[in-house]
Amino acid sequence: MRSVTINPAKMCQPIGAMYALFGVHAAVPLVHGSQGCTAYPMRMFNRHFGELVQVAVSSLGEDASVFGGKKNLVVSIENIIARRHPELIGVITTCLSETIGDDIDGIIREGNFEESKVVPIHTPSYVGSHVTGYDNALKALVTTLSVDSEPENARLNILPGMVNPGDVIEIKQMLDSMNIAYTILSDISETLNAPLILPKPPFPRGGSSVAELEDCAKARGVIALCEHAGGSAAVYLKGKYGMAADTICPIGVANTDRFLDAVCDMTGVEIPYSLEQGRGRLIDAMVDVHMKTCGKRAAISADPDIALALAEFVTELGMEPVVVSSSTASRKFLQKAKSVTDGEILNGRDLYELQRAVKDNETDILFGNTKCTPIAKDEDIAFVRCGFPVYDRVGYHRYGIMGYHGGIYLTDMITNAILEWGER
Amino acid sequence: MPLTLLNSDKAIPEREKHTYIKAPSESILPLSNVQTTPGDFTERGCTYAGCLGVVCGPIKDVIHLVHGPIGCAYWTWGGGTRQNLSDNPSFHRKYCFSTDMQEDNIIFGGEDKLYESILEAHEEFPEAKGVFVYATCAIGLIGDDLKGVCKRAEDEIGIRVVPFNCEGFRGCSQSLGHHIANDTLFERVVGTKEPEYLTDYDMNIIGDYNIQGDLWEIMPLFERMGIRILSTFTGNASIDDIAQAHRAKLNLMHCQRSTPYICEKMEEKYGIPVLKASLFGVEQTSKALRDVAAFFGLEDKAEEIIEEEVSKVSPKIAAYRTKFEGKRVFIYQGAPRAWHWVNMFRELGVETIAAATTFGHEDDYAKICERVNDGVLVIDNPNSLELEEILTDWKPDLFISGLKEKYLSYKLGVPFINGHSYEKGPYAVYSGFLNFARDVEKTLFAPVWGLIRRENDA
Ligand code: SF4
Repeated sequence: MRSVTINPAKMCQPIGAMYALFGVHAAVPLVHGSQGCTAYPMRMFNRHFGELVQVAVSSLGEDASVFGGKKNLVVSIENIIARRHPELIGVITTCLSETIGDDIDGIIREGNFEESKVVPIHTPSYVGSHVTGYDNALKALVTTLSVDSEPENARLNILPGMVNPGDVIEIKQMLDSMNIAYTILSDISETLNAPLILPKPPFPRGGSSVAELEDCAKARGVIALCEHAGGSAAVYLKGKYGMAADTICPIGVANTDRFLDAVCDMTGVEIPYSLEQGRGRLIDAMVDVHMKTCGKRAAISADPDIALALAEFVTELGMEPVVVSSSTASRKFLQKAKSVTDGEILNGRDLYELQRAVKDNETDILFGNTKCTPIAKDEDIAFVRCGFPVYDRVGYHRYGIMGYHGGIYLTDMITNAILEWGER
Repeated sequence: MPLTLLNSDKAIPEREKHTYIKAPSESILPLSNVQTTPGDFTERGCTYAGCLGVVCGPIKDVIHLVHGPIGCAYWTWGGGTRQNLSDNPSFHRKYCFSTDMQEDNIIFGGEDKLYESILEAHEEFPEAKGVFVYATCAIGLIGDDLKGVCKRAEDEIGIRVVPFNCEGFRGCSQSLGHHIANDTLFERVVGTKEPEYLTDYDMNIIGDYNIQGDLWEIMPLFERMGIRILSTFTGNASIDDIAQAHRAKLNLMHCQRSTPYICEKMEEKYGIPVLKASLFGVEQTSKALRDVAAFFGLEDKAEEIIEEEVSKVSPKIAAYRTKFEGKRVFIYQGAPRAWHWVNMFRELGVETIAAATTFGHEDDYAKICERVNDGVLVIDNPNSLELEEILTDWKPDLFISGLKEKYLSYKLGVPFINGHSYEKGPYAVYSGFLNFARDVEKTLFAPVWGLIRRENDA
């Protein structure tokens, strides 16, 4: 295997942690590091979501790299509290502060900050990827904030992972139609798709509240939609509070069926008529286009759980997932990938390798983010944009690909990509 | 009222020194080029961003290999959000190279991985004319011998391998990264190749990064005058262009924050004089052409070109001016554009009410203060909350800044132009000025601003 990475498929942990914190109401991500580690990821969010994001940084300099970053961290927290009064500050480490070895947990404990909750989040950039960063952040939020108290509140915790606001909306609509009480942790559906109404609120509306994070211990169950991005928090909640836990990524027919079955099992509710109709509508859409989709050879590049679920969905469409590539290396991904494809599996490889695989496997259609656009162009194949970041087209964050309704949107996108490719 | 403290800064009074309202007969400048107040929501980037992101990234035919964990490389891939175009798009801006340092490498050192990575990158892309290696934050702490590894690799592959010690934490902003890039390129590249031939009219354009093709508008103006552009630093530059830059008769310096270092060194070592120019707007562009013409004795030719170009654009500019007259702008740029653009806006009838830079030094603020009227707010390294306060309380009709600030402006209902990577440029010289004016018109008069509701009028 090459030492050099050419065209990476992954980003580093801190951006994943920021993603998770944007879904908490009135929360400030504070990056403990130098300034590139905020300036750059912020632009990635700007480009994908078309939204304002505000991230603080402790601006570590030459001094801190020698004497430690404690002073910068404490001053940062004090300044943020004094100027913005957030409900929560998530302290996100970087390769710099982790290599310096700052004891952020100790510093935060000693600081005794009262006005805002301050949560330490360890995200060294030289371990894992953005997905790992999201997972670590969500686990840190749940571990630090959840408090056990009777009685069980009959809610469900849903941990969506690094998905789009549109996906969260799809999930909410399904659960609403079942009349289920639930908490989304963390919920970016409004914070990263905010309306323009003046005056601008100090923090975007929406997001999970700190109270919801505290109460998540009382839920009767938890479902992580992305095992690699939220799964650790689910495991923690199950182990600590004994609640039912499951991981299902509801992309495609069978996966959405399984998701709803799990919801029914945990809550005792039955699947309503409206969702049966929704499922029927997805099947109808798939039947309409199966002559176009069947037999197509697909390459999928995405975060691990999304990649697996997409592979299963394209199989339902009669396509063959000939390349399944995960941004993040993972043993679990590898195992599961073997059960969803006989094709080539790339486990945490770069996009240069993906391009080689796309070529070798005579691919017809590619699924991936904007960084994959040149591959589709070079290889002259159909292209479906998904994942993060997508910034060479607008609006992708608004529409979900999860659930039955999201499946219809995805089916249409796939078919239109094939049609456009045919007409090129 | 000289220095002032904004309302959003009550808790961080040290910001007062950075915040100046220009008053008559005063020679105060806001404090600049110092460490950011921790946790103040700065918009600044890192030293690595200044080195690779700004200065070296536009060089189109070398492998830019980032030594560190993956993030840093990902952010600068394809120029990041910077639109520094080149005529080698199938290589430049398409590939991103990183050593993707893992925990083991941080503990035991990353020298072997770096060495292997250089060799492999060269093997995959043997046509690349060099390998530039950038150290990012973690590398500065673990003490990899960058120089030694690059030397060894260079001996092995036989093309130039240049290390840049531009770890993000080294400076207080991108600015130190510019300096490191200048020094390294001067030491390792400039003067290593002789031009095929020389003319009496050889000139370098230093400090233009060909944002959305600026240079492709700038160069023909000088070429029509009879000047040969020997080298551009670094927009659309080949490493060979930079290698032969030492033979120019004149350095024309555009961005005067990111490149004065190399200009000084070339003046010292090769005796190349420096001419500072601003190539935005009619007046400044004409002045630059005249200054260059005077140096080379090409005045008549220059006047011809100026007359032709000005007659093409000035009726259109006059029409825009009638529309824009009385509008007020807040300019926030990296550094020099903040003052380049005060005059450009004035030609459009738009007055500057506030001006700010991310990484300006004293000389940048001196130039801003020379150009703006009394009562204008001049602020160094403004943070997100200050920007919000200025946009809300000072009520500019237009904000010109970068991508991160764009959505703040939009969410506050303030028309906005991206001055870093442009809306639809190029924006330089006469032709670009029309693009600029067109974009200003689009955003100022977009009907959507009139549809925004206030919460309580709904
Ligand atoms: S790790 Fe350091 S060099 Fe890399 S982006 Fe962050 S601040 Fe810049």
